[in-house]
Amino acid sequence: MSSILVLDTSTDRTSVGLVDENGLLFEFFHDDSLAHGEVLPKLVAKLLDYKPRIDRVAIAMGPGPFTGLRVGIAFGQAFASARNIPWVGVSSLAAMARVHAESEFIVAIDARRREFFCEHYLDGKLFAPARTLQREELAEFSLPIFYEPPTVEAIAELARDEISITEPIYIRKPDAYPAPKGIKFRPWTQIDLIDIYALERSVYLDDPWSMEQFKEEFAGKSRQYLIAEFEGKVVGYAGIMVAGDVTDILTLTVAPNFRRRGIAREFLKRMVDWSRNQKVEAMMLEMRVGNVEAEPLYLANGFRKISERLDYYGPGITAVVMRKELGK
Amino acid sequence: MMSQPLVLGIETSCDETAVGIVRGRTLLANVIASSVEEHARFGGVVPEIASRAHLEAMPSVINEALKVAGVSLNDLDAIGVTAGPGLIGALLVGTSAAHGLSLALDKPLYGVNHLSSHLAVDALDESRALTPAIGLLVSGGHSSIIQMSDMARSVHVLGETIDDAAGEAFDKIARILELDFPGGPAIDRLAREGDANAIEFPRGLANSDYNFSFSGLKTAVARYLKETPLAHKADVAASFQEAIVDVLLEKALRACRETGIEALIIAGGVAANSRLRTVAAERCLVAGVELRTPPVALCTDNGAMVAAMTSLAVSGGIAPSQVGFPTLSTVPLTQPTWL
Ligand SMILES: [Zn+2]
Repeated sequence: MSSILVLDTSTDRTSVGLVDENGLLFEFFHDDSLAHGEVLPKLVAKLLDYKPRIDRVAIAMGPGPFTGLRVGIAFGQAFASARNIPWVGVSSLAAMARVHAESEFIVAIDARRREFFCEHYLDGKLFAPARTLQREELAEFSLPIFYEPPTVEAIAELARDEISITEPIYIRKPDAYPAPKGIKFRPWTQIDLIDIYALERSVYLDDPWSMEQFKEEFAGKSRQYLIAEFEGKVVGYAGIMVAGDVTDILTLTVAPNFRRRGIAREFLKRMVDWSRNQKVEAMMLEMRVGNVEAEPLYLANGFRKISERLDYYGPGITAVVMRKELGK
Repeated sequence: MMSQPLVLGIETSCDETAVGIVRGRTLLANVIASSVEEHARFGGVVPEIASRAHLEAMPSVINEALKVAGVSLNDLDAIGVTAGPGLIGALLVGTSAAHGLSLALDKPLYGVNHLSSHLAVDALDESRALTPAIGLLVSGGHSSIIQMSDMARSVHVLGETIDDAAGEAFDKIARILELDFPGGPAIDRLAREGDANAIEFPRGLANSDYNFSFSGLKTAVARYLKETPLAHKADVAASFQEAIVDVLLEKALRACRETGIEALIIAGGVAANSRLRTVAAERCLVAGVELRTPPVALCTDNGAMVAAMTSLAVSGGIAPSQVGFPTLSTVPLTQPTWL
């Protein structure tokens, strides 16, 4: 007889159970997503009172809200190593899917912030890999959606049948992104104008700002300019100003050979922080229509298109006006 | 009551995943994995990154500590873990792993106070008896003066910071001076090239209590830098550091004098500061106070301090914590272990 200790803290429910070849022996659970750390040890202690012998540990590895998820994994790994028994990690979504017989359905775990970790199943097989969907996006599927936490039996079955997942399934990145390596961010100084102007002309070939414009900006009030510097060389700059109830992003420029390194993202993050400190309602910007490099960045940071301005960047070149509400 | 308990201690309150093992008052192992390099890129500790790193590092740090100590988990008499104060997500990785070990092995588990543990490392100097002492706890989160008689039961807080912690002041000034994170070591290094008497920063020593306030000093440094664009950074760092060291020691030694206690323990991350250690040695000698500063490796966050605290609790006959005890982001120093 081999008994499996099942631990799951990947949903709002903390559940522990003991399963052997004959099926479920014991099961305890508690519904309170904030208490995994306190509840899990208590439930396991209760279970060990009934049956102290464990041959294997099965851990639900998520996806799930991170803090709670780690409680089960840290506990299970330590428990297994102390007892000198193996532990097996399983996908929580796969365990949820195991109990449903419909030909096509979705399983979803509440990821907070109006988002859900989801998997789409078709004819008993995983159809689309795990991903995060907004509540509204999820609502658009005309398929059965199941939210019930995985059962202890399903986790134990997967732990017998499938290859162990050894890393937590995180799906979502930490909120903070690493600042780009080796790049320094600082406010501009007058001497930087020379480098900035050179970069401006190499990037905006048809209508760069003139040196006069930069000098006016430098002398102007209620605005902030930042430069990104790599080994003493200006590789990007960004400027923003307060205009009434909003801040307006004036420019955000990165040298072509320094793109895709997170410099623009870092600029934007700092400008959002600064705008919040100015206590304005929203941030706005104008962007050339079809700026495929910048658009995803703005969309990912909560900017939405609100209007277009024809011929803004010269004849035939439309500007898209975007706005991000800062809320209270 | 056990006199020489073998204890494993786990610490994950901030960015170090640390495990220490002690037998009674003897240090057997002190293993640390740090995610500080990842945080350096953000100029501060990012809780979610720290928590992820703790989970990744935990199994190997435990195994390494057991290997170094030459003991097995079954040999342990008790397990200790930091239950607070700290970042909740980070603490939970440690307390969950500790519960896993404790329940699997059926060994008593102690949730301990991170702050008290910083002072408990003093017990690991076996050459000394555990006598009453004044504790100066200086770290990124705390600056306190404590009167200690029985470490594991109760400590009496004489004074605390009313605004920034000493370590926080170091970090903030380092940022103004555009130095690396963490700020303490960066200022310590730069200050060696500067003149500590170059600038007279305010000490804020006017009041006669044991409380600290560093915000005035911080503002003074910021103002000085603004008004003196060509300031010699090393002089600023050295003068700032001198002011902090002066205030800390002035108040700590006043506490020794006024309580009649003749020993001073300086612990916590800032106790690693070389200038603080030098000036403390000079002034304690003059004042006739016995100075006890843990080795630098035991000043910053580590697992040995948790094991030391737990060992004191076990040999002091204190009951283990209850299964599923809570983790707390703030806890007063007066609560050394959890119920
Ligand atoms: Zn500490």
